[in-house]
Amino acid sequence: MNKHNRPPLLFQHFLSWFCHEDYFEELQGDLEEKFYERVKSKGISKARWAYRKEVVKLFRPSVFKKIQFRYSNNTNMFKNYTLVAYRNLLRNKLFSTINIIGLAISMAVGLLAITFVSEIRSYDKFHEKADRIYRVFNNRTVVGKEPQAYASTSLLTGIKLKEEATSFDIIVPIYNGFNGNVKKDQNLFKLKGQFVGEDFFKLFSFPLLYGNPETALQEPNTTVLTEEFAMKIFSRKDVVGEVLEWGPYQFTITGVMQQPPGTSHIKFDAVASLKTYEIREDRSRLFNDWSVMWTSYVYVHLNTNASLEQAQADLDRLAEKENAKTEFQQINPGLEALTDIFPGDGKYNQIDTVMPKKNIDQIVILALIVLFSACFNYANLSVARSMKRAKEVGIRKVVGAKKASLFVQFISESIFVSLLALFIAFLLFKLIKPEFISLNLYTERTTTLNLTATNYLYFILFAVLIGVVSGVIPALLMTKLKTVNVLKGISGTRSHKGLNIRKVMIGLQFAFSMTFAILVILIQKQYHQALNFDLGYNTEDVVNITLSGKDTKLLQAEIAKVPGVKTISTSYFVNSTGVLNSDWAKIEENSDSVTIYNNWVNTDYLDNMGHQLLAGVNFDKDGPSDQMIVNEKLIEKYDLKSATEAVGKRVYFYDKYWTIVGVVKDFHYGTVYNELNPFAYLYDTSKEMYYMNVKIETSDILKTMAGMERAWKTVNPKNKFEAEYYSDSIKRMYTDLSSSMKTFGMLAIVAISISVLGLLGMAVFTAESRIKELTIRKVLGANVLNLLTLLSKSFLVIFIIAVVISIPISLQLFKSQIASNIEYQIQIGFWELSSGALLVLIIAFFTIGSQSIKAAKTNPAESLRND
Amino acid sequence: MKGTHLGEFQEVALLTILVLGDDAYGVSIKKEINKNIKRSISRGALHTALTRLEEKGFLKSRQGEANEERGGRPKRYYEVTNKGKEALHEAREMRDNLWDRIPSIRLELQYA
Repeated sequence: MNKHNRPPLLFQHFLSWFCHEDYFEELQGDLEEKFYERVKSKGISKARWAYRKEVVKLFRPSVFKKIQFRYSNNTNMFKNYTLVAYRNLLRNKLFSTINIIGLAISMAVGLLAITFVSEIRSYDKFHEKADRIYRVFNNRTVVGKEPQAYASTSLLTGIKLKEEATSFDIIVPIYNGFNGNVKKDQNLFKLKGQFVGEDFFKLFSFPLLYGNPETALQEPNTTVLTEEFAMKIFSRKDVVGEVLEWGPYQFTITGVMQQPPGTSHIKFDAVASLKTYEIREDRSRLFNDWSVMWTSYVYVHLNTNASLEQAQADLDRLAEKENAKTEFQQINPGLEALTDIFPGDGKYNQIDTVMPKKNIDQIVILALIVLFSACFNYANLSVARSMKRAKEVGIRKVVGAKKASLFVQFISESIFVSLLALFIAFLLFKLIKPEFISLNLYTERTTTLNLTATNYLYFILFAVLIGVVSGVIPALLMTKLKTVNVLKGISGTRSHKGLNIRKVMIGLQFAFSMTFAILVILIQKQYHQALNFDLGYNTEDVVNITLSGKDTKLLQAEIAKVPGVKTISTSYFVNSTGVLNSDWAKIEENSDSVTIYNNWVNTDYLDNMGHQLLAGVNFDKDGPSDQMIVNEKLIEKYDLKSATEAVGKRVYFYDKYWTIVGVVKDFHYGTVYNELNPFAYLYDTSKEMYYMNVKIETSDILKTMAGMERAWKTVNPKNKFEAEYYSDSIKRMYTDLSSSMKTFGMLAIVAISISVLGLLGMAVFTAESRIKELTIRKVLGANVLNLLTLLSKSFLVIFIIAVVISIPISLQLFKSQIASNIEYQIQIGFWELSSGALLVLIIAFFTIGSQSIKAAKTNPAESLRND
Repeated sequence: MKGTHLGEFQEVALLTILVLGDDAYGVSIKKEINKNIKRSISRGALHTALTRLEEKGFLKSRQGEANEERGGRPKRYYEVTNKGKEALHEAREMRDNLWDRIPSIRLELQYA
């Protein structure tokens, strides 16, 4: 019989694929019988066709394999899985706790990342026209320098585009300058806002509660407030027609808009009509000059029939014309989509804080690292535990469980655990949310981490995903167990091949943990050093009061009367808090210009702050307003032989001549980020002072503070009393250090706890799988210490590798990422580097030790009696 | 009386099996039905009906011998059970009963 005498093979396969096993033999037989009959009567090809036709006609539900038949006890089975999962959780409370907590910690980080990323990605998506709104940005190239991208562009660009370009139907110029205070009935309200073109509400979806969006910003001196700002000023919302004062101008309120969502990259309390500026002649350069591009922005809406290329061509034509007018710089505008603005690619001059894309990537990567470790831990622990459950698997298999159903069981178990962990993770998330937001400047200004319905959906999907990812390896391992082996008591899970991957993973986890721990210690040390830096003068017990202008003398007299106040001085700004002032200066005989940093102070300042005079005298109160006291660096810079030689020299500085009357010992007027340079204290009675430095010596600081506030109120009843300890001002300066300390601290805690949990799992796994060996050794005379060394030996290698990896990496990270611009870095020695690693090591050895001792202490009869 | 109800096609299948006696299996049943009721039935429909009847307990089947013609597949022979025979009788009685109650005059074909 050759191939062609047979029924079509494909259709035979098809039949066997869909046909129920119980009927297959019979039907197949019938078909073949009929087939051969037809071959005889009608010929081979007709018979083959008839066969095909009959197979297709058999394709009916009653003949199908009964899928639902095989799994008919579905619900019962799932009930049983849940019950078994629940019992398993209860039976081994330690493991369950480790698993759930480990997952919860990392999932909390995951939840943060999800909320964070989805919030960042939702920026500006609420604008109905978002897909066709673009912002004009400027690429500015100063001759001989690299081009730089600015988010801003000149207002002239907007005007010219309106006149000449054909690709845009709405053009909205924005001038970022409606800031400061507005006044209403003598009350001041801090304002942040922009001057915007009249089509602002046509372009952007900021619905108005009151007022007409078409005409609200057509007239000069009109403003539209946000709901919240209106409530703040008037305690009501329908305030159209009211008048606000802003500097010398009066603004009529023409509308109130619904509170804009937090996910707008333009943030404001109010917007005012740009017309207000247009009619003021002294601002004309703002509108006429192509190169005045620093605080103005142009947003455009692309015509429905215009392409991005056409629009760019419009801009290029304009640029060509305007660039021809100047020589030293080229400005080439481009377009970026509204939705691409946030998160940003690092353009200068953003209208508001824009989160760099880099930040988001970092957070996502760190979250993934943490999550991956936690999933791995779950897998590791489950595998370790699987020896205990092998019998269950065996029995299930004997009773008739298929591989697929066992797989489903273990996956659903891990999903069950991860859903449990989700609850705890959610609580943790709530707990660390404020910490995360205050992590750095960007998160503080741009994220709220408010949860939306979609976020909750993501959370649940995320938990399920984590359940699947962490459950897949143990599930596969369990389903592979051989029934006979399991029931005979031969463990199939002791695979030494897998152990190597696990060791690598443990090693990696520990390398991460140690890196984070070392970084925290380094940053903490740097932070500590920055705070306790010997500045070269005395800031202890000094409170700086922010002055509000007039009556400084009167205030000083009042504050001097407060008990506990020792000495008082005034200064233009507070040294060592990041504020710097400088100008070019020339000494008469020396033609070289040198940058001199400076501060203006009164005559009491040097004594008050404990500065050490090396030569000359302090400022003379009755002397002229051209006295200058310089530091040693200035002497060095000008190659003067000694401090005394400098006294009497005249310096041209801030457009006039000053006389050096004294020299002080070098001190740190800047921060640890700045190196020391020439510095001068200036005495100028015409200069307004902004700070009063009050040295306090009291046992009851609260009383003294209250006394000072009372004194302030008698002089300045309207303004708020603002005072801050000098040390607190310095501390505020180093928030970026403290925020990276927080970030890495958080990560270190997460990483260490996860890796320790993982290690614990490993230790239990090793101890359990070698329990017989251990007990036999014990019976033969090994003591606890012997067994401990035996068990920890394999881990020791892992740790040594982790230490070797983590030390150089953390050192490199610290030097290149964190302290790269710090002028006064800490000395990094053996202990700084090793203490973090040691800390992790000690925790790790405690973990292993506890398990090993437990294993070593069990009664040999317990584990050997069955053999 | 869902359990014992016989559909028309099911009745035909049962009767055919009884007609065929010891030689009632898939191919022969189909052939016989096609011959008698002069209607082409599909193998699938027949198979469905036989499965149902077996589930109801009207039929029982046994595996028969394999032969070369069937590609080595065994035949499945069907046999009507007592329960099946009862159901057939019942169906017939019901029908006879109805027939009997019809006055013969009404059964005459009328060509008007």
